[in-house]
Amino acid sequence: IPSSGTTHLDEPLSRPPVWTTLPPSSTLKPGRTGFKKVCTTGEASPCPFPGLGTGILEMRVKEGSKIRNLLGFAMARMQEQVKPDGQVGVTQVLFTGLDRAITKTITCAEIMKRQVQGLHQLSKLQYTTVREVWENKEDGRSRMTIHRTVPSICILLSKDPLDPTELGYQPPADVRSVSDPRDIKGERVVCRKRTLSPCSQSKQPNAKKAHSAIH
Amino acid sequence: MAEPRSPVSVAQNPSGVSLTETPVVEMDPVEYTLRKRLPRKLPKRRNDVYVNMKTDFKAQLSRCQKLLDSSTGPREICIHGLGLAINRAINIALQLQASSQGALQLAANTSTVELVDDLEPEDPDEAGEPLTRTRNNSAIHIKVFYPDPQ
Repeated sequence: IPSSGTTHLDEPLSRPPVWTTLPPSSTLKPGRTGFKKVCTTGEASPCPFPGLGTGILEMRVKEGSKIRNLLGFAMARMQEQVKPDGQVGVTQVLFTGLDRAITKTITCAEIMKRQVQGLHQLSKLQYTTVREVWENKEDGRSRMTIHRTVPSICILLSKDPLDPTELGYQPPADVRSVSDPRDIKGERVVCRKRTLSPCSQSKQPNAKKAHSAIH
Repeated sequence: MAEPRSPVSVAQNPSGVSLTETPVVEMDPVEYTLRKRLPRKLPKRRNDVYVNMKTDFKAQLSRCQKLLDSSTGPREICIHGLGLAINRAINIALQLQASSQGALQLAANTSTVELVDDLEPEDPDEAGEPLTRTRNNSAIHIKVFYPDPQ
């Protein structure tokens, strides 16, 4: 039963409470409410891209996924040459992520856009219900099913043009010179001498840079 | 990241005097303080809302709601989120849509923002130079609007 009484909950849902529905990113873990439970997740409503057909590569990004692994696979498929038997590589990739994996999903899409030029993008946001099954480790008998409603994102990257009037459409970015595509998410330490002039290199946020000041 | 200098004595020295020399390390042994530079200056129109993790969630949500409900001006706002604030921006947008009983529509765009960190040597006497480190972060821009009646 969702409640906004917990101090950790900062994003309560304004929807009618459903039994065993926990708010998104909740710290109310069933493991803490008594006995140890092991969770096995199953997604009740997988995210079919609204209004799209089949035959595309779907990459499900989880919180613990490694970006290198995800992109290694996806890039290989996207850049496949036409095989002698006529098979073509994929022309469209769909990245999906839930809850805490959303940022990683966006990062994967952004990196792919840099490495493959001329990709059309379509992003969709929605709430998705996830079904979690928790088992009691000690008993091994009793089970608990929890339905969690979490935000999710689906990002479609396509070599073929997409409908520009569709909500969330982004045209291919202009061709820019990128020094090293691998360093998109990584860090570059550049030994660059920096003049310590307090005026130009201001670390103090000036008024214009202040974020979301409350009116 | 920081590795203090440690003297290394040379084992075989016939005279018995121990020499100290800085160990050959790949990383600079000087300690640094990391300062994050603020992202580039943002062009801010009236209906731009930048979400952060410092301000209370409900306050940001109600501010967005007020902007949308204002009778004057276009009935649309653009919510921006950088890095960890992406989740919060999405939550705000989805909750605005939920409480509007489906009247609101969302359009999401993503981008990459380049951030620069300044590394300053801990000890001003140290010979370390001020370094800059560049990294990239993801950002999301969500347009929340009432569709035009057809």
